[in-house]
This record gives sequence, C-alpha cells and structure tokens, in this order.
Amino acid sequence: MDPFDTAAGWLQEHFVIPLLYQLDMMQWEDVGYGWALFAVYGVAQVFITLAICLPLERWRPVETWPDAKAVTIDVVYTLINRIGVLPLVTFVLFYQVQVWLTGTLTDHGIVPPTLELLIPGLLGHQILTFVLYAIILDFGEYWRHRLSHMFGWWWALHSLHHAQRQMTFWSDDRNHVIDEVISFLWSAAIALLIGIPPLQFPLLILVLRFLESLSHANARVSFGRAGNRVLISPRFHRAHHGVLAAGQQSCNYGAILPVWDIVFRTADFGREYVRTGDPSGEEALHTGTWWQQQSAGWRRMVAMLRRKRSKSARSRAGTDLAA
Amino acid sequence: MKKLLLALSLVSGGLLPGLAAARPLAFVINSAEASVSMIDMDTKEEVKRIPVLREPHHMALTPDGKSLLIGDTAGNAVFFLDPVTGDVQRRATISDPYQLQYSPDSKWMVVAGLARNQIDIYDAATLTLAHRIPASSMPSHINFSPDSSVTYVSLQGTDALMAIDVHTGAVLWNTKIGKSPAGVLWLDGKILVGIMGADYVAVVNPANGAVERKIVTAKGAHNLFISPDSHTLYVCNRVDGSISVLDPKTLAVRGRIAMSGGPDDMDFAPDGKIWVTRRWAHTVALLDPATGQFTTIETGRSPHGIWLNTHPNQPAPTRVSAK
Ligand SMILES: [Zn+2]
Ligand SMILES: [Zn+2]
Repeated sequence: MDPFDTAAGWLQEHFVIPLLYQLDMMQWEDVGYGWALFAVYGVAQVFITLAICLPLERWRPVETWPDAKAVTIDVVYTLINRIGVLPLVTFVLFYQVQVWLTGTLTDHGIVPPTLELLIPGLLGHQILTFVLYAIILDFGEYWRHRLSHMFGWWWALHSLHHAQRQMTFWSDDRNHVIDEVISFLWSAAIALLIGIPPLQFPLLILVLRFLESLSHANARVSFGRAGNRVLISPRFHRAHHGVLAAGQQSCNYGAILPVWDIVFRTADFGREYVRTGDPSGEEALHTGTWWQQQSAGWRRMVAMLRRKRSKSARSRAGTDLAA
Repeated sequence: MKKLLLALSLVSGGLLPGLAAARPLAFVINSAEASVSMIDMDTKEEVKRIPVLREPHHMALTPDGKSLLIGDTAGNAVFFLDPVTGDVQRRATISDPYQLQYSPDSKWMVVAGLARNQIDIYDAATLTLAHRIPASSMPSHINFSPDSSVTYVSLQGTDALMAIDVHTGAVLWNTKIGKSPAGVLWLDGKILVGIMGADYVAVVNPANGAVERKIVTAKGAHNLFISPDSHTLYVCNRVDGSISVLDPKTLAVRGRIAMSGGPDDMDFAPDGKIWVTRRWAHTVALLDPATGQFTTIETGRSPHGIWLNTHPNQPAPTRVSAK
C-alpha cells in the first residue's frame, strides 16, 4: 500500500479524529482526513527537498557564509507553510469553495467547465490532466509574480521575499502572509476556472512548490543551454533574486517553465551566479524576526497605498485649480 | 475442461447477464480517489477501477435493479453503472449528491447535499426535482418511514434530525438530538441515529423528534446496519475503532468487535461475511461476525459506500426501512 496513505490514515486515526472528538467537531472528520493526507505530503516534500537540495548546496555552493543564522527564519517559514498552512488552505478551504461554487452553478443550469469535459478523451488520463493543470497554473504564476513587482504596494510585500541575502532552497516560503494569501486566491481562482479536482489542487501546489524550492538553492546548478530554456534552474531564478533585479523592473519571473519569460520577453539567460538581496529594502526585512519582517512588510504596504492616494488627491486638486 | 468452465463463467458473468447467475461483485466507492473499485467476490481481487469525476461517496440501486447510481459530490454528477458488468451506462447532472436513497415505494429519490446544505426530493422515474429543502447544516444520512411518507435526514453541522413530508416537501420538525448525528435507521416504529460526536445511538420518536433513549455503544457511533435475517443490528464506532453488535428487538448490546481504520459502510455477503469499508485503512474488511476476525482487500483511497450485487434487487441494508 501507498506509504503516504498509510501515514495519513495513522495520523487521522490517532491525532485528527481524537482531536475533533474532543473539540466537538466530528462533522469535519472527512475534511480532516484530507488535511492529514496533505500534511503527510507536506512533510514528505520537505524531506525530499532536503535530501536533494542539501547535497547540492554542499557540493557546489554559490556563496559560503561565516554563519548562516539568516537561513533559520526561512526554515521556520517553510515548516509553517508546507505542513500547516498549505494543506489547510489548498485542501480544506479550496474544497469548501469549489463544492459550493460548482453546485450553485449546476443549479442554475450551468455545468462548470472542467478540463476533462472540455477535451474529450481526457477523462481517466489522470497524469496527462495533471501535467496540463500544472502548465496552466504555472502560466498564472508567472503573471502573478510579474504583477507583484509592478504594483508599488504589492512589491512592498514581495520585497520581503527578495530581502534574503543568504538565499537557499528554504527561501521559497519566505513570503509576507498577505502576499501568500493573494497567491493562494490567485491560483485557486484559476483552479476553479479550469475545474481542478479538490484532491489534485493541493498535490499540484506541492509539486510546483517543490520545483520552486529547488530553484532557490544556493548551488551552482544549471541545466545547460537547452535545459535552462525548458525548466527553470537555480541559476535562472538566482538572476531574478540578484541585487540588480530587485525592484519594479526585474527579469526571470517564471516559477517552473521559462517559456513564459521567453514569450513575454522578460527572460535573461546571461546573468551568472549573482549576489542576492534587495539593497533598497530596510534591515528589518533582512534580519528581523518573523514578526518584525511581517510588520515591516505591512507598514511598507500601507505607506505605499497612502502615498498613492495623496498623489491622486493632489492631481485632483491640480485639475480643480486649473478649472 | 478448465477452459470450458472459464468460458462458461465469462458468458454467464459478462455477456449474458440476465440468464445465469451473475458474477458476484462488490462495488466500493473510493471517496478520496474519484473512482469505484469493482471486486470479484470469489477471487477477492479487484477486477476493475471505474473512474468518476471528482469525489464520490454513496450509491443507490434503482428500484428496477438495472443501474447502480454513484453520487459524485464535487463533480455534481450521478454515474449510472451496470450492476452486473460495472460499465458506465450514462451520467446525469445533479447538484451535490452526497447521499442518495430511494423511498421504499420506489417513487422518490432523496439526495442530501452536505456541502450545499440542501435536501432534494426527486421524482424517481424521471429524476426531475420535486422539492428542494434548505437544510442548515451538513445534511448527511437519510432514511424513510416504511410508508414512504416521511424522510428523516441527520444534520451533522447543527446536531439535529429533520423530518420532511416527502409529497409536499414541508419540514415537519427539525430537532436537536445529539452531537454530529450520522447514520439514520427506521426500526420498529422508532428512528435510530448514530451520535458520532458522542458514544451512543439515539432512539428518536418519529412524531416529534424527541430522544427517548440513549443506547451507549462506543465513542463516535456512526452508522447502523441490520443483518439480512433481521436478527442483528450492527453499529460502527468511528472514534473507538469498533463495531457494536446489538439485539434489534431490545437494543441490548451483545458485544463489540474491534476494527481500526475507521469502519464505515457495510454490506452482507451470502456466505455470512460482512464487508466493511475502512475509511483510513484503504481496505475493505471481510468480517466473520461469529469470531470477530477479518481479512482485508486493498481498495482505493478512503473507501466509503459499498454494495454487493449478490442481492441484485435490494439496496444496501441501511437503505431499507426495517419495519
Ligand atoms: Zn520576485
Ligand atoms: Zn524567489
């Protein structure tokens, strides 16, 4: 039997169910099982990432640091996100929303679109459908990331991700909570549009996030001239994190496939293994505690929104005067 | 000779279903895998895995015995399977079919939409919606009065049981009966309900919803099944990991069989074995009720609804309102 299923079953029987029973929440037992399953996948994913990335980083590090204290916070981000938060939102929350939405549409005589029904012959071909879903989500991810650099308030949040000067495979989950929420809503909206099954969505997110972890690794790893154009390598994503690329004008926004950067002309394959970080960001974003980083992000976002509003108010006053 | 026998059994089992005894098959719904496992009851092997759309939970046999309906909740679909071959006959669009059950007089089909908080009453012959009853919240298990005039549905989210006039769709009463109520069974003029958030079966007065007795089984009392000879009542206990054996006349507890893995639905084989789905163990158990010993057959993830085609004109035992 699938060891993940066995582990999830064990977690459900010995942890989730007794807990739900204690809390008078037994009606959530089925949903609880979904959480258990994806928490197990989350743990496995962290271990697989470790097993692959740690040797890579030891073998060919881009940078070596006298002490790697700044990395610890990224480990915290990763564990919270992959084991706790992601299974909860990508399964429990997404599931509720999807069932409600598709049911409502069905009631109004609209059969919600699903990829399997749009493309005949796809039903039953789970792996192929899975790959198609992944490609579509990755396309969405490219634009979300690109927009998060473009808008000032959004960049104020996303700059937390870029603030890391000791970038490792742990850095993928280093994000502002609000940025993470937007990111979830964004991919969930796409998932609803193309009808990703509630049990596949969290799995897709896990696979995508695993590849994204790899691309953050502190390792001199490149997939070669051709390979770099097929799959995003640590070298490619490091260029995006380079000190010169921090800010509203950047390059290499892609998460998994470089094709979107190539098509939309934002790819830069030329940069070698550059130094990472955001020189314009404040120190709290670099070396603060989890809480300090989060509040700094929040403060910066509010300031950007205020500045925007006063700017538009000023320009309105200007036109008033002219009139 | 062997070949001839094989050919004969193929003919009788697959090609000429009406003529000879059909191949004994167990249909097991894999809720967390969007599929139905078809198991040969003689060889104990899974012969086919039938893909559905999203998330199936329960099934119902049409009154004429010609189709086995698989309710796909998140897929908002009902799949019609041939109970002899497992072939998909057709698919109908139906909103959130979590539980589905025909009335004893075969005129109605009641569907509980757990995610959308609705109870739908369909005309059984045409599958046109006759009544929709908003049911907050989480309607889960269904049963009927033997004269088919009233349907009783447990509401897991609000700890209640709801009685609905099947002909008019009017709510007769909606009464709190215990934490997270699950399985519902009409027995000798009373309604029995498994109280999953506690450790007992509530004996409810069908006239007003008053709880008259509490029969303690074990933690997480979930679903109730009556044996084909009507001599034994089985109650599975979700949190405790067991099946309680009761006398259906006196409701005295005769004993308890330990079964881990979240025992859920069950059906009775001609050889006296009870087939039980184990939700978190990804297996179906073949339980010998005399000894409490069981063997298992692997299924897909989260096996839920089960039906054996060895009683070709009868739905699963919990679906029948015992008189
Ligand atoms: Zn970025
Ligand atoms: Zn990054």
